[in-house]
Amino acid sequence: MAATIPELMERATDALITLAKTAEPLDDEQQYVRDLVTVWSARLRTVGVARAADPGRAELDTAVEWLAGEAGRIADPHRAIDWLSTFPQAVLVAVGEDAL
Amino acid sequence: MRFQDAARDARTVVYAGVQADPLVARAAELLAEARPAQRILARAVMNGESTAAEGWQDAFPTLFGAAAAEPGSAERARSEAILGMALAVAGRGDQSRSQLRGAIVEALTERLLVGRVGTEAVRRERRILFDGVAAEIHPYDVTVERPGAAEAYDCKWGARGINADVVHQLDDARRHAAEEGERLLPVLVVFDARRSCEVRLARLTAPREGLRLVSLETLDRLAGRRPETVPA
Repeated sequence: MAATIPELMERATDALITLAKTAEPLDDEQQYVRDLVTVWSARLRTVGVARAADPGRAELDTAVEWLAGEAGRIADPHRAIDWLSTFPQAVLVAVGEDAL
Repeated sequence: MRFQDAARDARTVVYAGVQADPLVARAAELLAEARPAQRILARAVMNGESTAAEGWQDAFPTLFGAAAAEPGSAERARSEAILGMALAVAGRGDQSRSQLRGAIVEALTERLLVGRVGTEAVRRERRILFDGVAAEIHPYDVTVERPGAAEAYDCKWGARGINADVVHQLDDARRHAAEEGERLLPVLVVFDARRSCEVRLARLTAPREGLRLVSLETLDRLAGRRPETVPA
């Protein structure tokens, strides 16, 4: 059974945390990293709440799982910071949301 | 206020070689006509680790899935071409990829601006000189040089590239132009999410009066087009 949109948004939020940990070696950027996690987690959770009644779809499940997997494959801290911004936009596009 | 070509130092010689890579022109051509979702695909792939097209197609069902544009349609062909181009960039080594991405944002900015103001007015790698003011070391990536309506562009691949020096340089140019009775619009073009750019800018104390931010979602404004929402 496919995950619901709120479950997918929680999965995406977990992936943001993973990326933030990958970016930890960059001491000078930790405030920026925290800010990105804060604003994008809030955006993703807002989508989860707004679409709590949406039935899951295998296609969306596959998309978010793949993107979260890609986030986990990022090993370079610089690239992790880039992904902290790119990943949530890609997730929003995947589930058909406005990516702003 | 007057404009001048940047000095031909080692940096500009190396960078001219990067800008001349056919992949840069191809990327700019594709991204200039892309929808925001396709630009997000390009950014994700060029930032990513995976180099197999299938995974990325799975990750973007609105572009490649059951509800996407029909295979064989122009829209689908553009998504596929953008994915191929982005994978080609990602396939380069880390340093080359980074240089290409920066050059792509500049070439894209130039191309979009030409659509609004014409080829003659748009220039690359130019310094802006003011009477009695020491010239900035770094040239502007792109300028629009029109009497009474000049524009100076600094282009960034990601929001992380926004820093106080960049914002100060743009603001200084705007202020010095105003002191000479000229109008100069300073613009920061960032191939990244507006939300992330705003987070970055919010922590800077540099003056932002008159600074215009163009993010990945609003690139079409450079061409004088209304931006689409994402996805549209």
